[in-house]
Amino acid sequence: MSRRHSVNRPPTPDVQDDDDDRAKEPTLVEIVNIKLIESGEKERLMELVRERLVECGWKDEMRALCRAFIKKNGRDNVTVDDLVRAITPKGRASIPDSVKAELLQKIRTFLVSVAY
Amino acid sequence: MLLLSDIFEDLLDSIIVDVASESHRIARLGLDRNLDEEEEELRLSAEARARASNPSHSGETNGKYVVDIFGQTHPAIANEIFECMNCGRSIMAGRFAPHLEKCMGKGRKARLKSTRSTTAAQNRYSRGSPLSSQSRFSNSTTINRLSNGSSGIAGHEYSNGKLEEL
Repeated sequence: MSRRHSVNRPPTPDVQDDDDDRAKEPTLVEIVNIKLIESGEKERLMELVRERLVECGWKDEMRALCRAFIKKNGRDNVTVDDLVRAITPKGRASIPDSVKAELLQKIRTFLVSVAY
Repeated sequence: MLLLSDIFEDLLDSIIVDVASESHRIARLGLDRNLDEEEEELRLSAEARARASNPSHSGETNGKYVVDIFGQTHPAIANEIFECMNCGRSIMAGRFAPHLEKCMGKGRKARLKSTRSTTAAQNRYSRGSPLSSQSRFSNSTTINRLSNGSSGIAGHEYSNGKLEEL
């Protein structure tokens, strides 16, 4: 089928036996991520950030970018991954400082709370 | 602290993917009215609407009748005729409501029968002729019953005043 899938997912990693022998250590980021999810803090943070980004118009900007991209490339030729790749640089750059500061503050607080 | 920014980036990326996914869905489902092909559709629908509201078309000024979307016309007043279950007269459907008002005595006219006899209660078809007593809906100390036909219709009686036991 010549049609591209809308979402490209990496193939499921094969189970390899030598992994059990090597005992891969979870990275610090992974540990913190698990803690974030387990405590529900990740969900709360995401809701907060979503709300802030809607308020300041960031989401509308991103959607306008998406629409422009889709218009340019034809709406049936676009995949989610294309869109993500298209808007991520601008998206990361246009986060308002206040939102970023608030989020970092909350993450910092969380890290402190789980560190002890 | 690098850990901090990693987590931040991760959150941000998730949100970006959400937005991209949402826009993608809207585009693929054709829900976005602003893409070029939709603008064409918008123009067409605006034209159609203008045509529809154009009075020189079969609007209300076309004779007396309005044409509906199936091309059917209906007279302004429904003209099917049936029998009033209260008084037994032949009534036009479109005139039924005002007829019922008079027939069942909703109006101010002295239509209320202040009857005291139980035989009147069994008389299901009243002719609606007013008795001489003052008949008001409320504040009346006399027995007020609405015309007895009402019990025939709804199966229960309307009483606005006190209903004295007979």
